[in-house]
Amino acid sequence: MKEKQYYFYRNLTIVFVSLLIGVAFSKSLYFLALCGLLTGMLILLAIRSQARIIVDERETSIKEKAAQVTYIIFAPTIGLGGFLLIVLARGQYYYLSSLGVVLAYLALFLLALYAISYRYFSKKYGGGHEK
Amino acid sequence: MQFLIVTLVKNMVVVMKNNSDLVVNNRIKVYRAKQDLTQEELAEMLGVTRQTIIAIESGKYLPSLGLALKIAQAFEAKIEDIFVSSK
Repeated sequence: MKEKQYYFYRNLTIVFVSLLIGVAFSKSLYFLALCGLLTGMLILLAIRSQARIIVDERETSIKEKAAQVTYIIFAPTIGLGGFLLIVLARGQYYYLSSLGVVLAYLALFLLALYAISYRYFSKKYGGGHEK
Repeated sequence: MQFLIVTLVKNMVVVMKNNSDLVVNNRIKVYRAKQDLTQEELAEMLGVTRQTIIAIESGKYLPSLGLALKIAQAFEAKIEDIFVSSK
């Protein structure tokens, strides 16, 4: 299956499954929504296995840079946002203060995850001991 | 706050810069024309997408050493004949 065909069938499946889930939820048919979702995932997997999609080094490089920029923006944003929510909403708006705590922990989790993955890839790609 | 924003933007610029101090030109179009290959055919030979060949030819993407060697092998030429650096 060529790339264009794959994207056509993939988008068609996504639209169909989204409509099905939307209708199912509107009628409170949650089991139907779940079945629709699982069927859609299976169809997408089947289509993907038939398709000849090349993910080359340029594509990988683009994804890496996009992930890096996303991290650089996202981590400080939720860290600062969490901090501001905790400080400004203290006492008065308890739910905003709780949200701030959650965002702060998320930011810490992101930092820890980055540190661990950086260490892992640093070891994997050599470079010797750090100064 | 201003310091944070400036630091964030600086980091983003560093990420987006792509070896801008090294300018590498290539003669892939010339070699392709010599061997009467389309971009699609060359991409298939090298196992990459046509978009990658377009990006390399236009100088927007610098291939890895492995891919550059593959390109040289495909054209049966030396890598330094295909890729030329200039400052």
